[in-house]
Amino acid sequence: MTDLPGGGLARGLLITLRTMGRRTGTQQYPDVQPALPPRSRGVIGLLEENCTVCMLCARECPDWCIYIDSHKETQAPAVEGGRERQRNVLDRFAIDYALCMYCGICVDVCPFDALFWAPEFEYSEYDIREMTHEKDRLAEWTRTAPPPPAHDPNGAAG
Amino acid sequence: MVREEVTVGVGDAAAGLHEFPTTDMTLNIGPQHPSTHGVLRLRIVLDGERVVSAEPIVGYMHRGAEKLFEVRDYRQIIVLANRHDWLSAFSNELGVALAVERMLGMEVPERATWLRTLLAELNRILNHLMFLGSYPLEIGAITPVFYAFRERETIQAVMEEAAGGRMHFMFNRVGGIKEEVPAGWTGRVRQAVADVRSRMPDLDGLIRDNEIFLARTRGIGVLTPEQVDAFGISGPVARASGVDFDLRRDEPYLAYGELQESLRVVTRTVGDCHSRFECLLDQVYASLDLADACLDRLASVTGPVNVRLPKTLKAPEGHTYAWTENPLGLNGYFIVSRGEKTPWRCKLRSASFNNIQVLTELLPGTLLPDLVAILGSMFFVVGDIDK
Repeated sequence: MTDLPGGGLARGLLITLRTMGRRTGTQQYPDVQPALPPRSRGVIGLLEENCTVCMLCARECPDWCIYIDSHKETQAPAVEGGRERQRNVLDRFAIDYALCMYCGICVDVCPFDALFWAPEFEYSEYDIREMTHEKDRLAEWTRTAPPPPAHDPNGAAG
Repeated sequence: MVREEVTVGVGDAAAGLHEFPTTDMTLNIGPQHPSTHGVLRLRIVLDGERVVSAEPIVGYMHRGAEKLFEVRDYRQIIVLANRHDWLSAFSNELGVALAVERMLGMEVPERATWLRTLLAELNRILNHLMFLGSYPLEIGAITPVFYAFRERETIQAVMEEAAGGRMHFMFNRVGGIKEEVPAGWTGRVRQAVADVRSRMPDLDGLIRDNEIFLARTRGIGVLTPEQVDAFGISGPVARASGVDFDLRRDEPYLAYGELQESLRVVTRTVGDCHSRFECLLDQVYASLDLADACLDRLASVTGPVNVRLPKTLKAPEGHTYAWTENPLGLNGYFIVSRGEKTPWRCKLRSASFNNIQVLTELLPGTLLPDLVAILGSMFFVVGDIDK
């Protein structure tokens, strides 16, 4: 391949020279936010109203980083003479992002669509304890969750 | 008088006793060293600049992956499988999914199989580009890594759009893949593949025939086919020594059986550092062609991409061994189930662990500067060695 002595080096330099004339691909990150796809797994948000405290997410989490506390409340019967019903009330829902492996199993297994992925990623902290996000903070993330993208028409209806 | 004990070796020239006997030096490279990319430790004995013996000491990053697998259910295992070789995450999780599906006797939808094949090839390109950038960097060529990462970014953008992750894709599920790809995604993959193909000559031309690179790699660290067999070396490192073995062709899984026309197994015969590098480089072109072939088929394959799973997934009693042709070599999972939610035993056969063992035979007799060239050309990921 190499015809002249130093031909390989010259070819390399030529490529460098050509690239110099091209547009750079540098992303000016802190000044310009990156455009992330909707499926990007940045942070998990909680929609508290949908949570029934079934504990599936906490149990299926591979490193058990979801903390849930709840209590039962008795509800008055809906109609006169009806039966009293028990309802789970969520007291605490927290995700420890210092442990989280961003696998998304919790979002997958949630049967009531209470958990959502959002592409936000700027939540590093100086103190590791701050990495545990309580439910008020998780609720804020839900507001940044984008709608899921439409599926490829060749696939089954999503 | 206190007598000092030193390890004394006799240098080549000192054999005739006309010169001073020299002292061998034991040198530890790693676990923290810029040229070892990761925590691989090498204990080498040097006679001057020449390596007398070398021993790779592994385990600094041992996380007990096999035991962690055994206390996770079949859904959770995929998370861990992602991580032992972090540059081949998709291929790793694929192996687990294939093993569990085989134990369950589960039919995977055709569209899922084609999407998996496509993503596995994109993952192979990502992995190879990483080493195509980092290997020249280790022996002093700084520029190629920028070109390699430009291409990686292009492929990673489409991977992230489908899977949501850039490294740990978490896109395989037992029975298929997580969800259908977004509308228009296949078009963007085709564009990305075309872009990378059109720009690969840049990376290629920078380094393949560079005289300095050739001087550092040609004829260095020659690995014989006998050593390949003796140490169970696989993947591009084995194929560079003329061992023409590739599971995609020799024991087809996924959709590779139908892709035999497009599948090109790249081999070399010399077995030196440069041919290992060339194997990787040419395999990128081959994988780009495979990705295109998958996209052609995906345009007509319709249907679901996964099957509905029971709430608790239990593999029936028995055992299976699923191996795949990962970017770095053979990756296998031997899973024994006693009908529980978790595997009773999991044995992980990782490519890098076997590939690195040959360093004890490959390094003695070489010069110290060549050590870095040889080490880098074995293309390993420390997490895959230490498991």
